[in-house]
Amino acid sequence: MIEFTVNGERRELVETSPSMPLLWVLRDHLKLTGTKFGCGMGLCGACTVHLDGVAVRSCQLPVAAVAGHSITTIEGLSATQEHPLQLAWVAEDVPQCGYCQSGQIMSAAALLNTGAAVTDDSIRNAMSGNLCRCGTYGRINKAIKRAASASKEA
Amino acid sequence: MTISQVNLSRRVFLKQAATATGGLAIAFYLPSSLGATDPKAPTPTGTFEPNAWVRILPDGTVKLVVHKHDSGTGTHTALAACVAEELDVNPMTVQVISPEDPFFDTYIHPVWKVFSTGGSTSVSLEYDRLRMAGATARALLITAAARQWKVSPDSCSTIEGRVVHGASQRSLAYAELVGVAAELPAPAQVTLKDPAQFRYIGKLRHKRDAQAKVCGRFKYSIDVELPDMLVAVIQRTPVIGAKVLSVDAAATLQVPGVRQVIAVPGRPDVLGGNVEGVAVLADNYWAAHQGRALLKVQWSESPLAGFDSDELVKAQSAALDDKGAQRVSAMAAGDVGAQWPVAVKLLEADYRMPYKVQNPLEPICITAQVKDNAITYWGGVQVPSSALEAAQKVCRIAKDKVIINEMVSGGSFGAREAKYWLFEVAYLAQQAKVPVKLMNSREDEMRSLFMHPATLHRVKGALDKQGRLTALQLNAVSPASPEQWEPGYFERPDKMDYSTTEAITAWDFAYRPANLDLVWVKHESNVPSGWYRSVSFIPNVFAVESFMDELADGAGQDPLAFRLAHMHERPRHVAVLKSAAERAGWGQPLPEGTALGIATHQGYTSFIAVVARLSKKNGAINVDKLTCVVDCGLAVSPGGVEEQIYGGLMWGLGHALFDRLDIKQGRVVQSNFHDYRVTRMSDMPAVDILIVDGEPGKPGGVGELGSPAVAPAIANALFSLTGVRQRSTPLNLG
Repeated sequence: MIEFTVNGERRELVETSPSMPLLWVLRDHLKLTGTKFGCGMGLCGACTVHLDGVAVRSCQLPVAAVAGHSITTIEGLSATQEHPLQLAWVAEDVPQCGYCQSGQIMSAAALLNTGAAVTDDSIRNAMSGNLCRCGTYGRINKAIKRAASASKEA
Repeated sequence: MTISQVNLSRRVFLKQAATATGGLAIAFYLPSSLGATDPKAPTPTGTFEPNAWVRILPDGTVKLVVHKHDSGTGTHTALAACVAEELDVNPMTVQVISPEDPFFDTYIHPVWKVFSTGGSTSVSLEYDRLRMAGATARALLITAAARQWKVSPDSCSTIEGRVVHGASQRSLAYAELVGVAAELPAPAQVTLKDPAQFRYIGKLRHKRDAQAKVCGRFKYSIDVELPDMLVAVIQRTPVIGAKVLSVDAAATLQVPGVRQVIAVPGRPDVLGGNVEGVAVLADNYWAAHQGRALLKVQWSESPLAGFDSDELVKAQSAALDDKGAQRVSAMAAGDVGAQWPVAVKLLEADYRMPYKVQNPLEPICITAQVKDNAITYWGGVQVPSSALEAAQKVCRIAKDKVIINEMVSGGSFGAREAKYWLFEVAYLAQQAKVPVKLMNSREDEMRSLFMHPATLHRVKGALDKQGRLTALQLNAVSPASPEQWEPGYFERPDKMDYSTTEAITAWDFAYRPANLDLVWVKHESNVPSGWYRSVSFIPNVFAVESFMDELADGAGQDPLAFRLAHMHERPRHVAVLKSAAERAGWGQPLPEGTALGIATHQGYTSFIAVVARLSKKNGAINVDKLTCVVDCGLAVSPGGVEEQIYGGLMWGLGHALFDRLDIKQGRVVQSNFHDYRVTRMSDMPAVDILIVDGEPGKPGGVGELGSPAVAPAIANALFSLTGVRQRSTPLNLG
């Protein structure tokens, strides 16, 4: 049995293979489909979730590796779905197709979690593992800055 | 003040048809059903359905029907705005739905005559008739209110879903009028709004669906789940054209969760018969994926086993010299041959672009169920006609038994215009007798064989002693357009293949030397090819705009001035070119180690100019900035246009620096994002976009406008910076 916490709730997996990637556990067993499949090799970032607050690629993480740890997905980022990043994403109208955006927001949230200064450089470093094929990079940059200044004011 | 008045007889609908020059003709026709509302639509009592786009329910719900696929381009927002503007409801708050019957005649693409979304045509071709649909509904609602109040309709107005009689300060919600309005005859005349009064068109900065997309709540094709559904993945032909000889699925069937293994035969009408495969159906993706890895498939030899994309250029060059090759004149004037001997300077150059693949971030995914002689699809279906074709050919299912639960997709860029996956899922759903969700992996996307074809362009130009271009000849070598929904569509009487000659026909080509010979040379490699965002604009603009720079250099002239000198009666084109140059500081002193390059084109009845700024620091060359000016006639949703152009520029940067798919011994070499590089945030330069509304104040296409000028602009800046001309992509920045 594998036990871990997802979005604050304790979960126990009984029959799941320990080698199954966390992505498919989240999507197919726990029905948390906000986390997306893009490449299966940790190259596109669509599957980004937080492992104890740090951004990880869930398609590359065997579920056994998260036993005892705490996972946060896009569904659990904010109870009200009004995380400063989510508000900023809407204000800047970031999503086009939107498919990559769960992963983008989770990577951006991990950046804000570090408390590091939000600059063009730190945004580039934190976000360049997340692909967007529609071309939302410019607005993502603006939205992260907007959220960072909103968080400071709050 | 401009007010358009259009006369309408009872229950007639507008029909648009493209003219040969790409303009629009408007005609009227009677729809097949008198009511012209969707025949399959359930009609709740008292519902007001004046046409195929507007539904107002007695409970006040306003539904706008958008009959186009949205792959993230904001099409739903922009098209809803066209109806909503004239109906006077807020497009951001009303419901937007896909048609109950996607095969209703009225929804057919006005040019292609199929049910499809693509070619950057959705807003430009639907703008007039969607406004008319909204205006017709509004006129009926006003008439209904005026009758109730016993006042003249002319004394009534509308605001936000209500009819208002200002003089008596009365108003009625649309919902209160639907019963009466539904019984009224269609108005004889409809007045469209004066654009100066627009509240939404030209003003929208946001799309409708951002909130759900930032919370993980938005449902994509991959999120579809049905009772008893199996997930399928397909091991497709590894060597293009190889057939399945035998399958050993013993190990696959041992994987927990794997339920069935089904061979999927190839079809001559899908990717030229070059693809077939073996499907693994399982309870979930991971089981199917593991099962597929254990399949032992024996494949036949293929005639394409010797195909090598690096060698293709030799065959393409040979086609240029082959008198028997099929040639189509895209544009011709004067006699170029007469100019070669008398030219003061002759230039000739070859340009090459490699195979590329679309890679939408959501891999292709579609669910289907075949039951009771009907098929139901769930997912992003960009070309309903292909879903219909699959149902008819694979399952022998009649048109009225084909149901599509249409969804927004996670990007397309041409990938979802392929039909192989619709044929495959129809086959699997029929065989498996349960709902089947077919999923591509990233590797499947890379090897979909729905590639943008590799091309060769040979260009020749003659300059006179004043440095004027007297003759220009271009031979574009590529395969014919990809598999079509309607065979022969591009084999028109003039033999023009419009999808291979973009940017080099009379209506798109910018320059007018006295002697012109722009030719498409058909060369088939038998490797299938596919649609790809911006299609043949990409190689054609790369060749033309690179060569214009080479000519300017040969003439000792400034590249901007040289271009302007050879444009005639193209005020919108000249304006974007001058504007982009000015914004980018063209002609101003530049810092040491910095250079600009410019390129431009027309397409989709829109105009664009791009200036690239490159710099060299410590031996490394970097793309610092892209400056871009767009004239798309009318930006229905300026926020949407801006993001489409940004995305296009990003794609263009990819063409310039990264995109390259190789085929060796008949196999696609690349498999995932580690060996097929696409543009990341860290690759993006600074971007400056200016959007202007030009004559005639009607929307042009923008979805595919942004990318083609980027690669030549960068190549031209690279020449200016290094003195070395690079003529094939990806460019080497050293």
